[in-house]
Amino acid sequence: MIEVNNLTKRFGKLEVLRGITERIRKREVVCVIGPSGSGKSTFLRCINLLETPTSGEIYINGEQINKKHVDINRIRKNLGMVFQNFNLFPHMTTLENITISPIKVNKMAKQEAEKEARELLKMVGLQDKAEVYPASLSGGQKQRAAIARALAMNPEIMLFDEPTSSLDPEMVGEVLQVMKDLANQGMTMMIVTHEMGFAREVADRVMFIDEGRILEQGKPKEIFSNPQHERTQNFLSKVL
Amino acid sequence: MDIYIKGILIAYSGIQVTMKITIFAVLIGVIAGLIVALGKMSSIKPVKLIFSVYVEMLRGTPLVVQALIMYAGVPMLLQKYGIAFRWDDPIIASILVCGINSSAYVAEIIRSGLQAVDRGQMEAARSLGMNHVQAMRFIVVPQAFRIILPALANEFIALLKETAVLSIISVVEVTRRSMLWAAATFEAWPAYLGTAFVYLSITIPLSRLVAYMERRMAQSD
Repeated sequence: MIEVNNLTKRFGKLEVLRGITERIRKREVVCVIGPSGSGKSTFLRCINLLETPTSGEIYINGEQINKKHVDINRIRKNLGMVFQNFNLFPHMTTLENITISPIKVNKMAKQEAEKEARELLKMVGLQDKAEVYPASLSGGQKQRAAIARALAMNPEIMLFDEPTSSLDPEMVGEVLQVMKDLANQGMTMMIVTHEMGFAREVADRVMFIDEGRILEQGKPKEIFSNPQHERTQNFLSKVL
Repeated sequence: MDIYIKGILIAYSGIQVTMKITIFAVLIGVIAGLIVALGKMSSIKPVKLIFSVYVEMLRGTPLVVQALIMYAGVPMLLQKYGIAFRWDDPIIASILVCGINSSAYVAEIIRSGLQAVDRGQMEAARSLGMNHVQAMRFIVVPQAFRIILPALANEFIALLKETAVLSIISVVEVTRRSMLWAAATFEAWPAYLGTAFVYLSITIPLSRLVAYMERRMAQSD
C-alpha cells in the first residue's frame, strides 16, 4: 500500500532522513516512535509530500508519487492527515471545516457533503458541535473534528503526526479512542506518537526511528518488552 | 463666528474631489498592490527583484515628487519623443499617481497579512487535496483579509490626508480650496482651521471604525 525506497531528506546541511526503506500493508496500523528530532515526523510528512524528499522513491498503491507530472492533489485525497496542532480552519464552523474539501475538490453536492459530515461528527462524538467555530472547542474536540475532516475525503490511509502531543492530559483518551475505533474498522494508519500505551495496545507494528534511520521494528510486544538495540532500550527506559 | 463657518464650507466644497481621488486611488492600490505582493513573494528571482525595487522606489520618495513627475515630467518626456500629450484633467493624473503610490504600501500590507496566516493552514488545506490556488482562495486569503482590513482602512486614512499635496499640481481639492480663499480674503486662520476640521470630520470616524475592527478581531482569536 505504501512503499518507501531509500528515502532521504536534508534541510540544508542537516540530514534528517538517512535512507529509509519500508513497506506498510493494507489495514496495518504502524506506530512510529523515537526521540524528538529523530526524523519521524519528517518521514510521515514525506509520505504525502508535505516535505519533498531529497532522494528515494515513494509508492502509493504501486504508483510512484514523488516524480514530475504526478497530480499530487489526487494522491493526497487518498491520504488523510492529522496534525499535532489540529490546523482547523478558524473562519469556518466545524461542519464547514469538514465539507469544504468534498465540495470544492470532489465537487460533491453541498447537501450530500453535509449529510456525510454529520455522520462523521456523530462517529467522533461531536454531533452537537456542527455549527460552532473551532475557537469554542476544547483541544480534544478540535482534534476529533480534525480527524472527521480528514475522513471526509474517504482516504484509504490515515497519517497522524503526534495527534495528542498538544492536548491536555485529560483529553488524550477521547482522541485515542476515536483512533482505536478507526483501527478496528480496518483503516490503514501510520501514527507518529509518544503514547506508548496506545502503541502497545493498537499497533500491529512499532517502528523505532533514531537519527534518520529505522533502528528497530516489530510487534509491539517484542519492541516494548524485549528491545534489541541499545538506543531503543535507552529510549524506552526513559519514556515507559 | 460666521467667518469660521465660511472657512469650513469653503474647505468642504473640495471634499468631493478629495474623496474621489482617495477612493479610486485605493481601489487601484489594492488591485495593483495584490499583484505587487504576489510578485514580491514569487519564487522567481528576477520577478521578485523587479517588484522589490518598485516598492523601494515608491516608498523612498515623497508623494509630491511622484505627483510632479507624473503631472509635469511624464508629458514632457512623451513630447520629447514626438507624442503630443498633456493631462486634460489633473484629477486623472492624481488618481494614477496616488494609486501607484498606494500600491507599494498596500503590497506590504497584503504580504504581511498573507504571511501572518499560520503555515499549518496551507498544509492542512493541501493535505485535503486542494491545489495551491484553492487553498489560497478558500483558506488563506479569507483569513489574511481579516488581518489586512484594519491596515487597509488605515492606508485609506493616510492617503486621504496625503492628497493635500496635490494642490501643488493644481488639483482643486479640500486644501487648494482653502488656499485660494485665503489668498483672496487674507483670512488664513479661519481658512486653514476649516481645512483641518474637514479632514478630521472624515479621519476621526474612520479611525474609530478601525479601532472597532481591531477589537473585534482580537475577540475572535
